[in-house]
Amino acid sequence: MTWRHRSVIDLDCWTREELYFLLDQARHMENVMDRPVKKVPALRGKMCVNLFFENSTRTRVSFELAEKMLSADVVNWSVSGSSASKGETMRDTAWTLEAMGADIVVMRHGAVGAAQYLASKLKRGIVLNAGDGTHAHPTQALLDLYTAWKHLGDLEGRKIALVGDVLHSRVARSDVIAFKTMGCDVVLSGPPTMMPREAHALGVSYERDPRKAVANADMVYLLRIQRERQQDGLFPSVDEYHRWWGADEELMKYAKPGALAMHPGPINRGVEIASEVADGHQSVILEQVRSGVATRMALLYLCGGGAR
Amino acid sequence: MGKTLFKDFKIFNGTDFIKEDSLLVEEGKIAKIGCGLECEGADVVDGNGRLLTPGFIDLHAHFRDPGQEWNEDLKSGARAGAAGGFTTLVAMPNTKPAVSEPALVEYVMSHGAAAHAARILPAGCVSKHREGKEICEMEKMAEAGAVFFTDDGAPVATSQLLRLALLYTGHVLPRIMEHPEEISLFKGGQVHEGRVSALSGLKGIPGASEEIDVARGIALVRETGGRIHFTHLSSAGAVELIRNAKRAGLEITCDTTFHHLTLNENAVINSGYNARFKVNPPLRAEADQKALWEGLQDGTIDAIVTDHAPWHMDEKDEPFQEAPFGIASLECAAAVLLDYRARNYPKVPLELLFTKMTSSPAALLTEKWQGLGRIEEGACADLTVIDEERTRIVDCRTWKSKARCCPWEGIALTGWPVMTYVEGNKIWQDEEEL
Repeated sequence: MTWRHRSVIDLDCWTREELYFLLDQARHMENVMDRPVKKVPALRGKMCVNLFFENSTRTRVSFELAEKMLSADVVNWSVSGSSASKGETMRDTAWTLEAMGADIVVMRHGAVGAAQYLASKLKRGIVLNAGDGTHAHPTQALLDLYTAWKHLGDLEGRKIALVGDVLHSRVARSDVIAFKTMGCDVVLSGPPTMMPREAHALGVSYERDPRKAVANADMVYLLRIQRERQQDGLFPSVDEYHRWWGADEELMKYAKPGALAMHPGPINRGVEIASEVADGHQSVILEQVRSGVATRMALLYLCGGGAR
Repeated sequence: MGKTLFKDFKIFNGTDFIKEDSLLVEEGKIAKIGCGLECEGADVVDGNGRLLTPGFIDLHAHFRDPGQEWNEDLKSGARAGAAGGFTTLVAMPNTKPAVSEPALVEYVMSHGAAAHAARILPAGCVSKHREGKEICEMEKMAEAGAVFFTDDGAPVATSQLLRLALLYTGHVLPRIMEHPEEISLFKGGQVHEGRVSALSGLKGIPGASEEIDVARGIALVRETGGRIHFTHLSSAGAVELIRNAKRAGLEITCDTTFHHLTLNENAVINSGYNARFKVNPPLRAEADQKALWEGLQDGTIDAIVTDHAPWHMDEKDEPFQEAPFGIASLECAAAVLLDYRARNYPKVPLELLFTKMTSSPAALLTEKWQGLGRIEEGACADLTVIDEERTRIVDCRTWKSKARCCPWEGIALTGWPVMTYVEGNKIWQDEEEL
């Protein structure tokens, strides 16, 4: 397959074949992770800049490990706040990166559209979106897909239930796109106050009752609940949230036997997920973390020109 | 001042196309209208069958002057208006400082006039310093030239303040122009709450935000007997509320913008969340857009405005979520509408659209300006020549406006103003006409 993607803002323009191709590459990359010397020369001489406007230890470290295993040179550039708040426009940031000779920019930013904007301003550099506000988190979706694929095999016709705060979740939006492209049946559940008003625009159904949403699901994906949403009045109490939408063994009984329990991390034990589920035999949460490195290696390799 | 003869035009008089094809302008006024007029010694403008309309009137434009002149000033704004076929522009008062005292009303009038381009008429604030606490010296501001009172950029802060303003202005002082928005529903919003907010994750602004404020205004007009004009309407629900209020005989008027008529939320998505499409109120759903066209046709909507909101590129060229609200459009608004109508609503008569840009908005101005927006003998010779066949690409780099960021940049549009006259003086001509 000829790889046509350079910058990756979201997965909405990817085909199923492309997703499978990346998953296949990720499997090779995961083998690299198990070697005594965890390094291949695929991106030797390439300069990667991890540009993080929002704190994110997990995603940044995951990208950094992936870049280093591919022998890229890595610079971590952490900025607190937005580009505007430090008095520099995003255009200036883009031109600075270009002048420094960055080949690949991994960017996380609190503003929707920031990654796309940066990509539009760079003439040569590649932008990989590590999360833009509440919009998209494509590499999280890729690692979720990879994890699910390893366990479930062909994903066509599988039922996926996403439970929690979809309204503010970039993970949910990218996961919906990725799993739907794979032919999955995706159902959302959570408080109506934390759902997009026109959830059907995402091409999925909404089921208020989480038991109905997870009924016969092959995978139950729990979304992180931020406690400050309670201050916004979006749900009345953590206790009510957990009792109704939190995943415990009782809720998981409605899913298919052996259904996977997934979460993007970090988890709120006792809120969106009970410890018995987070640490139980159905949980693949730590496996998702490992998948993150493998899929990011695959993405960096394919978009960074390793396949050409 | 000499005489100018406009001949061989298709003339729109403010409500209809008339059978006469020429008119004579003397001393800044329309002296005569007829068929095949001749006048020795007059300058002749040969229309070759093109359209001649009263100069367009925009009831809602922002010029950032005083206070933020790098974005736009009254002179560049007046020139931009002229280049878009507008002869009268109402300047919103949400500048820094806000136009909430008579001296600043006079400032806007005098600095606008210095451009020798489109006429700029000031709107004054409803509340002192636009703080939403006390009403301004409305009598004095009206005397200084204010043609509306509005806290635009935001709704009038409290129902009590709006009630007082409606009582105080009554039918004597200029109308209250209300920016309809319920603040708690708007808070943090970026786009229409619907498809675009679901797909993007951007915080949505529900149509109800507009409807609730419109309902408040209607209730207060019913109670006080005052007059209110709702500006930049965007939602189907608000159109319906106003339709019913008008049927009930209340003195309520409204406008919508060129961009809400010609764009919807899909433009935000299709642009990849480009801030050029970020505007308040947001571009709404297709159904809302359709309702605005219906509102125009059944008379619910009285005027079409630009809500011209110029920003310097450094401020507007940012990721969607970080950029300010506002679309700059004075120089292409008419072309955008004419092109869109030809493609999507060819059965909507041109007369209807031109009425909403000329005589209908003129009727909402103060008494002094009521004669604008018409072509009739004795009327002020504010005129716009339109070439329906002219196709041009929108190129913001050539604009008179200081703004360089617009949703239609690079788009070819058909149907452009090519000459603009204020009081018989040519204030702008398309370079291709030279």
